[in-house]
Amino acid sequence: MAQEKQEMVKMWDGVPGFDFNPEIDLPELNSYFFDGTHSVPLLTPMYAWFWCRHCGHGAQYSAEILSLPRNKGFTFRDHEGGTYIAMRIVRDEAEVAKRTAKFKEALIPWIEDFDGIWAKQRKELLAMYDKLKTVDLDKASNIDLLHHLWDMISTSRRMWEIHFQGMNVSYVAFLLLEDLVKPYGLTSESPEYQNMFRGFDNQVFQVDKKLWGLAKDAVSMGLGDLILNTPVEQVMGKIEQSKSGKEWLKKLNSFLAVDGWRMVRMMDFNEPYWLEDPSVVISPIKAFIKKGGDYDLDSMTKTLAQGREKAIANLLAKVPKDEKPWFEALIMLGGKTGSFSEEHDLFCELHCHAVQRRGLLGIGRRLAAAGTIDKPDDIFFLNPDEVERVLGAPEFHKLQYITKRRRARWEEIRFSQVPPVFTTRKDINEAVGMDLLPSDDAIIIKIVVGELPRVRPELKADIYGVCGAPGVAEGPAKVIMSYGELDKVQKGDILVCPGTNPAWTPVFGLVKAVVSDRGGTLSHTAIVGREYGLPTLVNTFTGTATIKTGQRIRVDATEGALYILDKK
Amino acid sequence: MIYWFEELGKEHNDMVGKKCANLGQMTRMGLAVPPGFAISIALYEKFIHETGTDEKMASYVRGLGELKGVGISVFREISETLRSMIEAKEMPSSIREAIASYYANLCKKTGIENVPVSVRSAGTESRPGMFETYLNVRGIEEVIQKVKIVWASAYTARAVAFRVNKGFPVLGDELGVAVPKMVNARASGITFTVDPVTADDSKILLEANWGLGEGVVSGAESVDGFVVDKESLEIVARHVGNKVRCVVYTKDGADWADVPASMQSMPCISDEEIVEIARVAKDAEKSLGGPQDMEWAVDQDLSFPESLFWLQTRPAKVAAKKKVSASSHIAELIAKKFGGV
Repeated sequence: MAQEKQEMVKMWDGVPGFDFNPEIDLPELNSYFFDGTHSVPLLTPMYAWFWCRHCGHGAQYSAEILSLPRNKGFTFRDHEGGTYIAMRIVRDEAEVAKRTAKFKEALIPWIEDFDGIWAKQRKELLAMYDKLKTVDLDKASNIDLLHHLWDMISTSRRMWEIHFQGMNVSYVAFLLLEDLVKPYGLTSESPEYQNMFRGFDNQVFQVDKKLWGLAKDAVSMGLGDLILNTPVEQVMGKIEQSKSGKEWLKKLNSFLAVDGWRMVRMMDFNEPYWLEDPSVVISPIKAFIKKGGDYDLDSMTKTLAQGREKAIANLLAKVPKDEKPWFEALIMLGGKTGSFSEEHDLFCELHCHAVQRRGLLGIGRRLAAAGTIDKPDDIFFLNPDEVERVLGAPEFHKLQYITKRRRARWEEIRFSQVPPVFTTRKDINEAVGMDLLPSDDAIIIKIVVGELPRVRPELKADIYGVCGAPGVAEGPAKVIMSYGELDKVQKGDILVCPGTNPAWTPVFGLVKAVVSDRGGTLSHTAIVGREYGLPTLVNTFTGTATIKTGQRIRVDATEGALYILDKK
Repeated sequence: MIYWFEELGKEHNDMVGKKCANLGQMTRMGLAVPPGFAISIALYEKFIHETGTDEKMASYVRGLGELKGVGISVFREISETLRSMIEAKEMPSSIREAIASYYANLCKKTGIENVPVSVRSAGTESRPGMFETYLNVRGIEEVIQKVKIVWASAYTARAVAFRVNKGFPVLGDELGVAVPKMVNARASGITFTVDPVTADDSKILLEANWGLGEGVVSGAESVDGFVVDKESLEIVARHVGNKVRCVVYTKDGADWADVPASMQSMPCISDEEIVEIARVAKDAEKSLGGPQDMEWAVDQDLSFPESLFWLQTRPAKVAAKKKVSASSHIAELIAKKFGGV
């Protein structure tokens, strides 16, 4: 009986209503593109439930209130933890014209006061998170926990509504600017152009700076060698044993109290947040110690900011006099793609997901204590509907038949390669041409799905990708599949990974170049690659599958090519 | 790698070139565009790759050395070498068959054997007058021949010189090709939905001449001019020019010809046609969200209003600009980029 019950549960029932169903979904929207930027490794059912519903909703919400001319947002489908995305494209020109007129009006307040609107939204988000944090999960009644679950659901929904607005506005400005600089001989890949968007200080870099400060403190307190020579997971235990170590931990903890609401993995609940498990920040601190103590983010930002001002001045000198005021305003707005896009990750996904993980684990503890599931983090293999079904009186229910089956399946497939697209079109190129590009949606085109690499046989490269940041570098490859492995990165390595998120930023200071499987020219990887001046090749699709750690590779990001120098 | 215009829109600019993407977008908007197809840049790339021309061209260009500051004779020589590399190659059979099948379908669609088409260059950037276009091309052999010549026209001496002087690579500006049916034009012209000089947007301006559009847009000849009130669609001013020459079909192309004396000072379009042109232009301006500069032709084989075809529309360039705030100007530009053609 138990066996039978277990077999009834498949991964595909994890996200009811949003499970990918080719017979129904393909005839409606023709092409579903794999979101390799966010669903590698494949998502747990609990996360996929929130993500497919609320992220999709947020995109629609923003498309609606900004009245984006050519799309009504996207819709997500879950395919065994892999997210597939389809654009809802407005193809009727009369409707486009109507939406355009409204779009123009909706943009004005953002153009006039981008930072002010974002500050207000940030405040709203933090107030919601703070309210959730006040719940004492272990003292709360079952019904209180149920309310907490529903509060998390509405917080997540609102977070995604806010998330897309500033992104949509800054990206359309960025794309317009790309067009307008062409007559001045600039393209989005030319360094003089990219220099206009570098050297912005933002929350992510401020947090990195604090981490770097902690690394510096550790060295001056005589803890540097201990941190360098001890496996990451044992560092905390060893440090606690000395007096200076205890003092350093105090500093670490006061840092985490402020900045610790930050997930290790941005898009899922299954890995800890910093405050929950302080040992996870040892890895970036170690990276800063390896890099050397004289590394100064401030002076780098300052140099980049000076370069930025010079690049902007150079361009403005060529612009006709009467166009200058709005051209300059547009450059500032386009510049938000870099600073805002990094910062919003911190206030939206990274913080909200940490609060959700806290709440879900609290509920998980309750269910485990009642014997409904085996251990608290089994809850990530349920979805909120299933939790709601039992939480009022968990002792009457058993959900292991679900959690066991789904966990086993997820463990088995979470790093497997999945198809880049499901489509009724001839091939991925046609699918992109017909079902992605007409949406004019920069977020999807330039981040989530990414531009397709151009295969150029004359270069005889082993792998082709898209230039995220220009330059050429040669060195040993280090293939890193998840954040937990980041401490393996050595100075001078070339990082080869599925994709990155803001938590990975510290290793950009260590490596010579970055290669990612997925992500476009405005993905996190490309943006940070440009900030650090690293040759960055994105959307290689097969980078981590083809390249082995230790192989020497040459990355020619400018040409979009990668060469494996010692093939075995 | 070949598309009917109706499958395309402005987002396909980089795939098929600006002219093709525009024709697709116009079809989508419901404008009567001559039926035809677009050959993507990828097909050109396939051609140079399969024939080995890409490597030949690349190695030739590598051997050229520094070109900044060289004289026009050098550019001419480079141009001739690169163009003949492309033009001398036999079209691979798979590409030939693909083009032939679209052409055959176009003949079937229009019900005309060896339907006359124009073969037009379509670059991804606007480079007026740099690349080539052929009018009144008939039969698949001619079409294939002209497609090759249009592809090769990415390497006209002036295009090569332009790229070198701008610091772009010599090899570049790969071209898409638009192949629309020729309109057997009795008269052709251009229409502005705003006065390009005074920025008065209450009137619609028309200029027209007998024959093909090339006889108007060159701007060299005296032509007919009409002004229509945008609100009421009444003709408020007319000037019938002394049209001594116009562009007409020849056996295998098109050329200037003398206009018969009896027709020289006769308006080349009727009032009915003028008002219809103005009406469509007004609608187009509305749905595109800004003043337009449009090209049209009236087919002598069809009866009004099916005889009216639209060949091009683009945002009108206006000399005098109204003063607007920086933020509404930015909003305007963004809206035009994402909502307009």
